[in-house]
Amino acid sequence: MELRDIIVLVKASLNPEIVRQNPNGSYDIEYTPLKISDIDRNALEEAVKLKSILGGKVYAISVLTWGPLKTRDKDLRLAIQEALAKVADEAYVVADDSVTPTDQVIVSNIIATLIKAKGLRPALVLAGEASIDESTSQVPARVASKLGYSYVGYVRKIIDIKNGKIIVERDLEEYTEILESPLPAVLSVTQEINEPRPPTLIQIRMASKKPVHYVSLKDLGLEFKMKRTIMDMRVLTITRKQVVIEEANVEKAVDRLLEYLEKEGVLRL
Amino acid sequence: MQNIIVVSQKPSDLGELIAIARRLGEPLILAFQESAVSINEITGYGHKVYRLNSDRPEALYYAIKSLYDSLKPKLIIGPTTKNVKDALSLFAGLYDIPLATDVSSIEDRGDEVIYKRGFLSERVIMTASVRKPAILLVKPKIVSPAEKIGKSDVIDLEVTAGDVKLLERKPKVLSGIKLEDADIVVGVGRGFKSREDLKLALELANLLGGQVGGTRPIAADYKWLPEDAWIGISGKRIAPKLYIAIGISGAPQHMSGVSDSKIIVAINKDKSAPIFKLSDYGIVNDLYKVLPILISRLKARASQK
Repeated sequence: MELRDIIVLVKASLNPEIVRQNPNGSYDIEYTPLKISDIDRNALEEAVKLKSILGGKVYAISVLTWGPLKTRDKDLRLAIQEALAKVADEAYVVADDSVTPTDQVIVSNIIATLIKAKGLRPALVLAGEASIDESTSQVPARVASKLGYSYVGYVRKIIDIKNGKIIVERDLEEYTEILESPLPAVLSVTQEINEPRPPTLIQIRMASKKPVHYVSLKDLGLEFKMKRTIMDMRVLTITRKQVVIEEANVEKAVDRLLEYLEKEGVLRL
Repeated sequence: MQNIIVVSQKPSDLGELIAIARRLGEPLILAFQESAVSINEITGYGHKVYRLNSDRPEALYYAIKSLYDSLKPKLIIGPTTKNVKDALSLFAGLYDIPLATDVSSIEDRGDEVIYKRGFLSERVIMTASVRKPAILLVKPKIVSPAEKIGKSDVIDLEVTAGDVKLLERKPKVLSGIKLEDADIVVGVGRGFKSREDLKLALELANLLGGQVGGTRPIAADYKWLPEDAWIGISGKRIAPKLYIAIGISGAPQHMSGVSDSKIIVAINKDKSAPIFKLSDYGIVNDLYKVLPILISRLKARASQK
């Protein structure tokens, strides 16, 4: 049987644009909203294209990293709704406070177990090259390893997909590579792969009718001992001087800037 | 003493990695890509070197697996690069070994290891502990490089590259400029309306004896600059004495790459741009008005001397 389905991994990430701190200087994680990780949007957009070629179903899978669910539920739903509006036919969500804040070992185990338990047989698993919060880029590769699928990271172009194979361009630091991988494969995509379009109003309305399956760890027969313990999260405060020159006369403004830089001793001239 | 595998991709990353590994145990070097080619540059540390016969990340996965199975290291240390992240994440998935990237400090506590890393575009520092074995990929320049203290034995490692076939490899168009070594960097953002206009930034950089870098749209999307001039979370991290951000709004993905700069200057016409809160000095005005005057002032100063 030819593999036609696609799975897209979607993460509700901590929003790096909103970093608040508690009076003691620690990161105020509880009141930081979650949002869909930006690069996951590129994975969803690419799934639109691939779905039209493969003709199968698209599933979104999301595991809640940052709890508690009670306060994150709305943000998590919004991220999943975007995936459903954009391309996914169904979504699987694992949101379990017993493993939040979770780590990459656990997330990848949950995703791989879920894929097997639900009998999903994808041609491709797509994910963003990194999440916008932790940006460690490791979950897609871990999932591939656990499922025994092929893996290509940092894909910036999908060139061809046919006969159980996919040809892609991988973006590394000093060169790019054209690679041929058998299917099923896990691909992590970069932001260069496409220009994600936001879902239309009609798509958003349709999304509310699509099934979202909440799956518990118990359903999956999973129980975890955390390998990572987060001991502290501290907001890095680099206080800049924030001297803003609003002088309308450009020449005067430039002269003032040069005076400041002279005093700082950072000009060679 | 516990075995520490040190993955080296370039000879230039090895001194720092060895300095970290020597504090933790007995380093065993796995030489990959440039380090495998320039083997003479990495044999002076006196630690055993395993040289990988392939420069594919897929091969690095098999090499790490084979060394891990035979040597049972408690820690694997390496640089935070795409190739190493990819290969080691695949390997980590196989045995459920914790892996951290961009690590800035490591403290060994017997069965556990405590590390610090930046997250949320380096705006928050996380301290975490993981059970060993663990993989820690570190940031550059967190320690001084180790001294070379002897000769190493070199053992050749032959592994397969797996089922992903390499059809073609294309070198990127790179400037070759080491932005991370420049004292002064002029950063360009979307405030510039055309590629042609970047000559203003180049002229400014030349006058200051600095280099030009840019944000993701400029370097990666529009390709107005070579990709190695891209500053930010997925590009370069720099720490110059002076960083001049021109037409840059100050998104966290970019600012995380410049947050270690001594002085940051912003030139932006939008008074409400976040960059002004993240800068030491700023001029609120059109860059097309500010730069010609700044350039002519600097020229005048240069001719006075």
